[in-house]
Amino acid sequence: MGDFNIFHHMPWSSTYSIYFFVIGISSALFFFSMLSWFRQEFEPLRKSAFYVSFALMVVGGLLLIVDLSQPLRFLNMLNPSYLNFTSPLAWGGMNLLSFGAVSAAYYWMMRKNDETDSRRLAVLGSILALGLPVYTGFDLTVHQNRPVWNTPLMPILFVAMSLLSGAAVASFLAGTHEKLLAMLRRFMLWSAGAVGVMLVSLLGTTAYGGVGQELTFMFMTTGTLGTIFIGVGMLLGTAAPIALLLAPFGKQQQGMMIAAVLILVGGMALRYSILVGGQIVQTYF
Amino acid sequence: MSELRTSSIETRGKPGLKRYAMVIDLRRCIGCDACMTACKAEFDVPLGVFRTWVPYKVVGVYPTVRKHFMPRLCNHCDDPPCVRSCPVGATYKVEDGGFVLQHYDRCIGCKACMASCPYNARFMLPKSRTYTDITHVVDKCTFCHHRVTQGLAPACVVTCIGRARIFGDINDPSSEVSKLVSTLPTQVLRPEEGTKPHVFYIGVDRNLSEPSRAIYNPLDVLEEDRRAFNKNHKG
Repeated sequence: MGDFNIFHHMPWSSTYSIYFFVIGISSALFFFSMLSWFRQEFEPLRKSAFYVSFALMVVGGLLLIVDLSQPLRFLNMLNPSYLNFTSPLAWGGMNLLSFGAVSAAYYWMMRKNDETDSRRLAVLGSILALGLPVYTGFDLTVHQNRPVWNTPLMPILFVAMSLLSGAAVASFLAGTHEKLLAMLRRFMLWSAGAVGVMLVSLLGTTAYGGVGQELTFMFMTTGTLGTIFIGVGMLLGTAAPIALLLAPFGKQQQGMMIAAVLILVGGMALRYSILVGGQIVQTYF
Repeated sequence: MSELRTSSIETRGKPGLKRYAMVIDLRRCIGCDACMTACKAEFDVPLGVFRTWVPYKVVGVYPTVRKHFMPRLCNHCDDPPCVRSCPVGATYKVEDGGFVLQHYDRCIGCKACMASCPYNARFMLPKSRTYTDITHVVDKCTFCHHRVTQGLAPACVVTCIGRARIFGDINDPSSEVSKLVSTLPTQVLRPEEGTKPHVFYIGVDRNLSEPSRAIYNPLDVLEEDRRAFNKNHKG
């Protein structure tokens, strides 16, 4: 209705976007820790990336629990007779828990210097880590009434954003290891490129969509949300780092650090605006 | 009707099962809000949230203007997205009757059901209430399940002064809702979402029932109301 006397809230608050952000970084860092067992240049990241990944996973889990209106009932997610497997949240909860368990076991095996089991757990953990951005994407995709969210692009976009933000954080942990920095620069470039292409595609399909999509496009490209999405997320957080990393200065550590900061700021902005963008029009219905 | 069924949860047209539905005749609605009030009284619905509500739009050109009312409630969809999105099965559909209901003691408050509902029919109850201890979980219209199972009509239907709301079993060809839906042009909200809603409207104009460009540039006075509402009622 154009006029209204009853108002509606956005069900999912910005806490979710912070969760998307930290869990994306956590899963990518675990992936880099896993790579250290197979690629020599990643070895300096083995422990540091894992520690940060673990800490962020705990933070992400706590954010999810605190955001529930009945936080203690998160235990219901552990009750097999309650779990509803048509919900991506149920899969996500199990994915997060098993990722936590594998991470703890991985830490234990690394402490014991058990290389074989550490490798196995690293691979298993990476598969579960990949599931985290995939399920967060599905969390949004399945809502058929939500413009921007309801696209098959969403899980892939979240994987690319996870790699991008994770590589940015990893570049701070990499120290002065040149080979590692060169690899992380490549990760940032390729994942930023993928994110950029997907965002342009997302904007295109949203702009040419139905009534809800068209209005969502208008909200996401103008005003405050437009500044956050286009200005901070796409230009400052995706396009600018690509340009910077391609420039000769971007091959130096300092340049990479600046690009990494921009990527992290943009990554948060993108997750926030995608989360909020899909909910704005509905609040007027 | 069986060819319409795409999911095993759907019960419209299934022999031996009731499938309750509501018809809202907008030609008869005078916007008195008695339905909202009856619902509030029936369920002690707190301030700021509604199981049923009556938004309006002013249509026409001054001085020939009128308010177009469109009562809203949970559409008790035959294929409800809220049921499939709830991670802990707190939202469920009653097979015989089609009521979409809520296990309050199981709800964790993740609001996935609210995000998945195309009709904004769900809301979060406040942290404290005067007469009931069901708090801070998601709530919604129940089609007055407790009344209907006792042979009574929903509170909003009973109280409607213009008889704009008609309730019954659409699987029964002799019911009034069944006859109205089969003989008059009716419209459901957002049929394209595939939810198969079971609230049918007579006389709804889709230009008025869909989000319009007006929401992008709303009247200042409405935005002030909206800001005040959001300030006082945090989700």
